[in-house]
Amino acid sequence: MNSVNPIIQIRNVYKYFGPLKALDNVSLDVNFREKVVVIGPSGSGKSTLLRTINQLETIDRGQIVVDGQDINSPANDITKIRAEVGMVFQSFNLFRHKTVLQNLTLAPLKIRKISKDEAEETALKLLEKVDIKEKADSYPAQLSGGQQQRVAIARALAMNPKIMLFDEPTSALDPEMIGEVLDVMVTLALEGMTMVVVSHEMGFAREVADRIVFMDYGQIIETGTPQHFFENPEHARSQKFLEQIL
Amino acid sequence: MSEKPVTIEISDGAAIPRRKDKGLVSAWRLAFFSALVIFTCLLIFKREPYLRIIKFLPDGILVTFEVTIASISLASIIGLFTGLGRISRNRYINLIASTYVEVVRGIPLLVQLFYLYYALGRFVRIPDIAAAVIAMSVCYGAYMGEVFRAGIESIDRGQTEAALSLGFNRTQTMFYVILPQAWRTILPPVGNEFIALLKDTSLVSILAVSDLLRRGREFASESFFYFETYTMIAIIYLLITLLLSKFVGIMEERLGRYEQR
Repeated sequence: MNSVNPIIQIRNVYKYFGPLKALDNVSLDVNFREKVVVIGPSGSGKSTLLRTINQLETIDRGQIVVDGQDINSPANDITKIRAEVGMVFQSFNLFRHKTVLQNLTLAPLKIRKISKDEAEETALKLLEKVDIKEKADSYPAQLSGGQQQRVAIARALAMNPKIMLFDEPTSALDPEMIGEVLDVMVTLALEGMTMVVVSHEMGFAREVADRIVFMDYGQIIETGTPQHFFENPEHARSQKFLEQIL
Repeated sequence: MSEKPVTIEISDGAAIPRRKDKGLVSAWRLAFFSALVIFTCLLIFKREPYLRIIKFLPDGILVTFEVTIASISLASIIGLFTGLGRISRNRYINLIASTYVEVVRGIPLLVQLFYLYYALGRFVRIPDIAAAVIAMSVCYGAYMGEVFRAGIESIDRGQTEAALSLGFNRTQTMFYVILPQAWRTILPPVGNEFIALLKDTSLVSILAVSDLLRRGREFASESFFYFETYTMIAIIYLLITLLLSKFVGIMEERLGRYEQR
């Protein structure tokens, strides 16, 4: 069923910050196992759009359906929906008072109520996957930015989510650390995870995205395959944006 | 004036002496051991009247401890809920907590004690020690509420967002993620509140509570050793307060550990 219906349906969404229109009639569907990369100039509303998907931002009008559930309906428990949607932040946001391992096990233990042994076993596997198992007992402050971000990805994966959201995951990193984080994301994409990524990494977008979404002024200006978007952007604003960054 | 060029040294964090670099003589050690030496010398070389005074005081010290510990516990609980109330998204809870803080902060503790004991005492008879503990807790609960609020607000929003995105609800986020971190920021000012509270328990001696100060007053007024008695009382308060501040310092260091590189 998931493979037929879009797993994320965003319908005519509006969001205002005071007088500022952050999202202006945005509609977007994301299919199961699809990788969508959202790009656009800063202030274009791309992070806001991403954050509405797990209701870190509420919306003023419109509808968002995630995995068949309207997230703004009072009948649905938003915490349950969030548990199925992993999120990776620009500033990592690891729990500073917990070790790396505890960062990964906290939510599975308290929310999924699984046993400590099981949680730690899964956590160690994930840490191995993001290649940072040796730091399991370190605290976040002892890690580099790239290491922290890899742990943050593993932490989100520990809840075994159906969807992963990435909010500019490499923007706060030193250049030499961007690669290690992107590698993990590419691996994840190859495994078939449904991903929505807000990013400025055009190389990553070109390589991994099934679809590029270009936003500006709170609107989706253009969507298309990477090939289409990077080779023949239709819209004048997309062309201008590409000129500026490439 | 002199012709010497003026140089301004720009220091950064590294130039500020670290807590550990204090060496043998720290302000705490100087104060504590001086007090201890004076205390011991007085007892050894001037046994009369100091030995008599010290024998008279243990009951009072015990009462002071009882009132302090009971008030600290109660005030911490009130403070936590007040702090949570002050940041609550529920308008009414927020208003109640904020009003409580404003009112209590605006009335001197001594007046609150009098009011509870003598004014309200006309309608309800509250036992002495209970009245003391209630007044101290209500007053310090408001102060601590502000400390808790500031501590919680000092935690980066990203921590809350990360917890919410994993599927924690707001209460779980508060107790598993925010408070354990806020505790580190909160501890030093809370420690100061504890110490202030301990000293302010001396105010309850105006009720019929036989705390350390009141016992001293009783002894002094019978024996007329005012100087000697109040010297002893001051030294005992100082020693207890310094021990408490040391304890707070040790806790602080332990909780600070995960921040180290």
